[in-house]
Amino acid sequence: MEGLIQFFREIRWQDVVDIGLNSYILFRFYILFRRTNVFKILIGVALLWVLQQAAGYIGLIVTSWVVQAITTIAALIIVVVFRNEIRSVLQAKNIRSILWGVSFKQPQTPVQAIVESAFDLAKRRIGAIIVIQGKESLSEAVQQGIPCNAVITREMITSIFWPDNPVHDGAMIIDGDKIAEVGVVLPLSLRQDLPTYYGTRHRAAIGIAEMSDALVVVVSEERGTILVIRGNQIQRVLRPEELADILNAHAGAEGKQDVAETRKARLEVAAAALVSFAVITGAWFSITRGLETLTTLEIPIEYMNRSPVMEIIDTSVSSIRIQLSGSDTLIRSVRQDQVRVRIDLDGAIVGKNSYTITNENISLPPGLFIKSFQPEVVEVTLDTPDRKEVPIQVDWTGKLPENLRIESVRIEPARIPIVGGGRILSKIQTVFTEKIPLDTIQSSRMLSVNLALSPASLKVGPGFREKVLVEITVKPRESRKEGIGQPISPQ
Amino acid sequence: MEETDICRNKVNRWAGVLIAWLILSKAAMADPSGAVSNPPKLQLVTAVMCEDIVNRLPFNEAVVFSIANGKVSCFTLFDPVPERTVIYHNWYYRDDLSTKIKLLINPPRWATYSSIQLREADKGPWRVEVTDSDGNVLQTIRFSITD
Repeated sequence: MEGLIQFFREIRWQDVVDIGLNSYILFRFYILFRRTNVFKILIGVALLWVLQQAAGYIGLIVTSWVVQAITTIAALIIVVVFRNEIRSVLQAKNIRSILWGVSFKQPQTPVQAIVESAFDLAKRRIGAIIVIQGKESLSEAVQQGIPCNAVITREMITSIFWPDNPVHDGAMIIDGDKIAEVGVVLPLSLRQDLPTYYGTRHRAAIGIAEMSDALVVVVSEERGTILVIRGNQIQRVLRPEELADILNAHAGAEGKQDVAETRKARLEVAAAALVSFAVITGAWFSITRGLETLTTLEIPIEYMNRSPVMEIIDTSVSSIRIQLSGSDTLIRSVRQDQVRVRIDLDGAIVGKNSYTITNENISLPPGLFIKSFQPEVVEVTLDTPDRKEVPIQVDWTGKLPENLRIESVRIEPARIPIVGGGRILSKIQTVFTEKIPLDTIQSSRMLSVNLALSPASLKVGPGFREKVLVEITVKPRESRKEGIGQPISPQ
Repeated sequence: MEETDICRNKVNRWAGVLIAWLILSKAAMADPSGAVSNPPKLQLVTAVMCEDIVNRLPFNEAVVFSIANGKVSCFTLFDPVPERTVIYHNWYYRDDLSTKIKLLINPPRWATYSSIQLREADKGPWRVEVTDSDGNVLQTIRFSITD
């Protein structure tokens, strides 16, 4: 009991919002996709994930790997294969219906309008295919449909199939109380037992009926007959009442509304809401309250609010080692760039500044905690930019051939201005060139050499290049000789 | 008593004349034209780095010296040297003072030198600043020690 009280004390308001928000997002996904094939596949993927976890738990190595691979591929398949279905779900809804609202009612198909239209078209000898969608989505079975989303009326249906209408050759798909698409191309049936007088229109109607639970009404242009096709059954309809009964029976099978149905739908939605909450709560617990794990990260220090007239010349350390604790999931997912160490240089002075690092200086992703960090003190040396003109000296390396000596060196320019921190510049009296190898020098020559500015914060003054010309005068090395003396004092 | 006073006055008068003559003659010696001139200044004529000093002269002047030579010398020649004084050879390795050598020079003309023994750690760029007794830099000579 005490543990439970302690647990509720530890829960922050952010945690409640976290669980609530994600539960609602999951619930909305269910509401949007519940009657689509995507949802079925998602359920399948979720089951695969559970299977993978179970396989991993009991030590089925290969099974775990295979299921993991299938789960990954399945997630891709959902996006690629069902892209049209996902798009149509999102396009058909407005923002309000995506974010809010749950429909418990199935839209009622206006049967009478369809019946009247079919007989009117048959009387006029105008061909038509009307596909009344069942529970299964047709978006993956049909092609090239033009979204219509129109109210079903006798006039609308007649005008769509009117011979001069650009979309009259395709099929019309009715979804609930709307004409969802027109000008749709249907898959043709490959059945060999069909009468020879069945043309493309009839074969297309039979094709879609074979592939789905849709009911198809076909009006023959040549004979003015009306056929109703469902599954493999083809039925000729002679009277409007007969067609109305068939359509009502189809509509009743998919969405007959009564109190019990509505109650069932409400229970289904409530169950979905509870499952969403349970799933997210479980995920939240596994992520935030898993086994405590430790990790150590090396985080570079960021400096803020540096005075524009100062430069950072040196720091005692460039990064802080932070030991973090948290649940295994959070620790494994934390990236180095999510943890930041900041030092505020507001009020810093020229010279050495010492800063003691506290938890306030370190920002972490939620759910992670600081165990320790090193070092606790950072020294930052600041300086003001300055300029100084210094002589240049050649830095030689290697060995000159025994018989030669470099008598003199002329550098162009002999002096160069450098800019950098005033404290550093005060210690610098010479700028050296990069090392010039002596081994290859055989005669007097001119060389172009880069300067070796150290530390790297130093730069050559504006208008000057970091390259200088070095003129070398090489002479033979002399053997010992006698010379006239001057009064001289030894060292 | 009076005789003594007269003699003292004569001595004082002759002493005054003598002092005046001395002042005038010194001024006349200093500048025949009558204007006051500065005394000759210490002048550094030659400052070179060399492998050795042979017969009081720099031997194998250069700006790069092999550590195999074992030593390197800085030769300086002053002309004129107005008075007995000291000069300094300040040896810098990179920009750090390595050694400061005090050398005595005498009028009217004087050459002198200083040397350092070379070690493995001495490889790199060097310079010698030649200064007068007051620390004024008369000349800087740059050279390198290599393999």
